[in-house]
Amino acid sequence: MSLLSISNLNLSIGKKPILRNVSLSVAAGEIVGIIGESGSGKSMTAYCVTQLLPEGLTATGDIRFNGQDILATSEAGMCAIRGAEISMVFQEPMTALNPVHTIGQQVAETILIHEPQTSRSEALERARDALNRVELPANRFPLSRYPHEMSGGQRQRVVIAMAIALRPKLLIADEPTTALDVTTQAEILTLLTRLVREDGMGLMIITHDLAVVADMADHIHIMQKGQVVENGPADRLFQTMQHPYSKALLAASSHVPEREQPQGEAPLLEVRHVVRDYPLPRSALFTKPESFRAVDDVSFTIRKGESLGLVGESGCGKSTLTRAILGLEEIQDGEILLSGEPVFTGKKPNRAVRRKMQVVFQDPYGSFNPRHRVDRLITEPFHLLDSAPSDREDRIAEALRSVGLTPDDAFKYPHEFSGGQRQRIAIARALIIKPELIILDEAVSALDVSIRAQILDLLAELSESHGLTYLFISHDLSVVRSITDRVLVMQHGKIVEQGETQSVFDNPTDIYTQTLIAAAPRLPEDLRNF
Amino acid sequence: MLRYILSRLQSLVLSLIVASIVIFATVEVVPGDPASFMLGMNAQADTIAALREQLGLDVPVWQRYLHWATGLLGGDFGTSYTYRTPISEMIAERLWISLPLAIYALTLSTLIAFPAGILAATRRGSATDVGVMGLTQLGVAIPNFWFAMLMVLVFAINLRWFSAGGFPGWDNPLLAIKALTLPAIALALPQASILARVMRSALLDTLSEDYVRTARAKGLTRRQTLWRHALRNALIPVLTIIGLQFSFLMAGAIIIENVFFLPGLGRLVFQAISQRDLIVVESVVMLLVFAVILVNFAVDIAYAIVDPRLRGTR
Repeated sequence: MSLLSISNLNLSIGKKPILRNVSLSVAAGEIVGIIGESGSGKSMTAYCVTQLLPEGLTATGDIRFNGQDILATSEAGMCAIRGAEISMVFQEPMTALNPVHTIGQQVAETILIHEPQTSRSEALERARDALNRVELPANRFPLSRYPHEMSGGQRQRVVIAMAIALRPKLLIADEPTTALDVTTQAEILTLLTRLVREDGMGLMIITHDLAVVADMADHIHIMQKGQVVENGPADRLFQTMQHPYSKALLAASSHVPEREQPQGEAPLLEVRHVVRDYPLPRSALFTKPESFRAVDDVSFTIRKGESLGLVGESGCGKSTLTRAILGLEEIQDGEILLSGEPVFTGKKPNRAVRRKMQVVFQDPYGSFNPRHRVDRLITEPFHLLDSAPSDREDRIAEALRSVGLTPDDAFKYPHEFSGGQRQRIAIARALIIKPELIILDEAVSALDVSIRAQILDLLAELSESHGLTYLFISHDLSVVRSITDRVLVMQHGKIVEQGETQSVFDNPTDIYTQTLIAAAPRLPEDLRNF
Repeated sequence: MLRYILSRLQSLVLSLIVASIVIFATVEVVPGDPASFMLGMNAQADTIAALREQLGLDVPVWQRYLHWATGLLGGDFGTSYTYRTPISEMIAERLWISLPLAIYALTLSTLIAFPAGILAATRRGSATDVGVMGLTQLGVAIPNFWFAMLMVLVFAINLRWFSAGGFPGWDNPLLAIKALTLPAIALALPQASILARVMRSALLDTLSEDYVRTARAKGLTRRQTLWRHALRNALIPVLTIIGLQFSFLMAGAIIIENVFFLPGLGRLVFQAISQRDLIVVESVVMLLVFAVILVNFAVDIAYAIVDPRLRGTR
């Protein structure tokens, strides 16, 4: 008998169906992956199991956990189950812990809530054990630590320690590694697998990334629009999948856009020995503030028409370097030249150079003023020109058309578009003053795989039709691999390795690059050319 | 934590020095000579000069500042131009009304606001929430002097439960507290309304945080989540408002003091201004500034107690 069995689960918000006849099961000691794009209902399925649905929503169908009917269990009964029998781990480790309590208190709380007869000191002792199990040793992570003193990966370990402290039968992990760097992601996935094997616990792991669960799950369910469209044992699923959506999803995950090799050797952007220091907050009122070197002696060149990747983990200095290239901040040493001209002159950005480059950020919604219409949003770069162009309307229409939207979209507001369309608008905004260099700062990281594949194709097309040069900044190695000619690997503010993308990925020489590439989740090798 | 307190203390002292200079300079540039005001319209020039010398107004400004500032350090505020009595005594007498009144009003306001705000936040959208929010809207809108007069009419004149005004002194503490009750309620009402609204929105914000979801997933009930996780995190904005309100209550009770004939600090400043008793004005303002800075210091320390992130890295 399976530990958890869900059959014919239905859920709707008003008249809109969220889940339709979802059926799946998790056995003890089994890892079940649930994969789907945003809005596919994968998280809602998890919330149904723990009955933590948004207020006012009730699911129908049947959920049996260890023989118990979950949907018929009272709230008090569910409180006894949550954390003790079924635990959850969520996506956002940075905010999942209460900032005002120590990690010891928070882990011990799980124990004290469910076993109130336990003494405080005993609970803390058991919290210590749980933290040891998730590899947070006492000498470096005493119980008195506060969440803000730890990194994202370490915090996720604390969340996992809270979840497993009472050795639950089922663990639900909802995008547990999405917000983490690749190496941290690999560590957390290994940890989860180990805990499942040790405790014989069932694990339901929810993710949008096929590669994350491909080599870890025993069984995989693929969801689309509230339905399970495909399921099967992980080792065979990729060969046997039938549903067009799962095939499309798989194809999109390993999509490589068609691109021409760049011609010409003329350098467009030259970065020479750039140093960027940040002052740290003063430790006392009259002391001289110390500084932190975010970018340390970085040099590289981007040739015209080339696509250069910049990879590295959070905090490595990627974003600081981007800001320096854009001329948003003054650098402390070295020089940055675009077509031979400095981007920053006399304490302010050089406008003549600035108009030759544009940037596209990760979160298009956050980078648009929600009260402006698209025509106003995408013409923002016009302020870099000395006078507004006379053919404004034509240029708006052309920019929108070139990113696959229609000129009529100019009169809509950003909330009327989907995430992928908004990223197209962001690209249109970058294109409108016909720049030579576009910096793509995690530009496709927030997108679902199928949308991501479309945007990557669009970028490849635009590069040819508009003669664009890209600096592609991302933590996602598979994306960088598919769209760049050369790649730079950055760690602690320094470039540790650079070269042709293919050769760096196939034969990394630097130890850090090797770790990074080994940690990246990968789909089974024989599927790469699917 | 100790380093945090020291750095806060450092900025407290600096603020005080800057404030004293600004206050002294402001009062200096205000037109009106205290000596000629005291002697009236027909005073002789040499009489005025003699009085100016006696009052110490003839020496250079910076000397007078130093004299005043060093006096402040020893608790000596100087002598009132009008009443010829030590200002420290005048202030002390008034402070014994204003300070207890402010504390009384703030206590009442907090006691009303916390339950009201928590109730409204936990039952968001319910009739309770709508009712509490409606009442607080009213509380903010009603001028407190009008409400004070209404209370005098009902509780003092009709029901005769309280006296209509005046202050009997602290010889009998019970009577003193009784005399301060109506003014304290009048002062507390708008403050409680504002505080309840802040409490509600701060709590609603924290209740939608990820760590609240984590707590629920651990098996805590809604109520446990509220008390153990949401409330303490919601305290930061609430503490800010409490700090501001205390400062306001110390200095801003002047209208209510007038309605209830209470000889408090507000009335002292009012009289001193109309009599060009500059040194009294300076001293009281300085005292109030000191109170505000001290309250802010206390709020800063309270922040650090509530939120470990503000204690600085160890």
